[in-house]
Amino acid sequence: MKLVDLLAIALVVGAAAAFFAGEVAIARTEDLRALYWLSVGAVCVRAGVQVGRPGAKG
Amino acid sequence: MRARDLWERVATAGIAAQGAVPGLYAWGVTVVPVAWVRGGPVAAKVAAIAAPLALGAGVAGERVWGDAARIASLWAFVVASAVTWAAARAGLGPLHVDGPRGVAGMLGWALFAFTCAGPALRGGSDADAPVTPRGQPSGRGGARVEALCVGAGALAAALLQTVGWKVVGTERALLVRFVALAAGLAVLGAATEVALARSAARAPRSSRSRLRGATTSLVALAILAAGGLLLLTAD
Repeated sequence: MKLVDLLAIALVVGAAAAFFAGEVAIARTEDLRALYWLSVGAVCVRAGVQVGRPGAKG
Repeated sequence: MRARDLWERVATAGIAAQGAVPGLYAWGVTVVPVAWVRGGPVAAKVAAIAAPLALGAGVAGERVWGDAARIASLWAFVVASAVTWAAARAGLGPLHVDGPRGVAGMLGWALFAFTCAGPALRGGSDADAPVTPRGQPSGRGGARVEALCVGAGALAAALLQTVGWKVVGTERALLVRFVALAAGLAVLGAATEVALARSAARAPRSSRSRLRGATTSLVALAILAAGGLLLLTAD
């Protein structure tokens, strides 16, 4: 396993944590905080998938 | 023998058909009781009927248009369910969705997300073949890491469903449930893709090339992190 694979996994784990924080913020009606954490989660998911892909379709 | 025939038939049906089974279960447990509550609006019933039709369209469309049809039907199903919940908010009260039904529905949606995110089942002689004939074999350790990744993704998706069950206010509770559902699907999908990409039939790229491909997302993440730190220090 390469270092970039670990980075991809860390980004997906980070996305889950950010989504969790976003949901908690929505439940507490802290909308700006929720928007921030959900944006972080979405970008983390995108980055995780892009880093995790080992190559172009062969 | 009949069980094997059934397995073969399910295995050749495709991901959309396999995902339709837990999808219909989740729909039956969490959408139908809300839509057909006494005095419920017509819009909720129409959306509730549209949800399984979207699943059916995905099963038929996957054979013609492939992944695009499956993904479109998946999100059409989720959105139709969300519209039902939004239109029939009275049906979401504690009298209509009790604890056990909520847990059963949560499991149904998690199973639906898991089935849609993973590869299709394989049957017969195909079951013994490697997942990606042209790809590098995962090996025992690799398969274990992949299973760990998918398991961790499923666990994270399940944990995301535990938030906001005691939120006061129907609209807010509904928003939390919808965000939890979308976030669970996104995390499970990403975890599965990262896990399976390691043994996919693709030409390997260098670490630098992979990081270069994700530059935009990583820069956006850095900007968000910097913005968050600024907001934190401003508070």
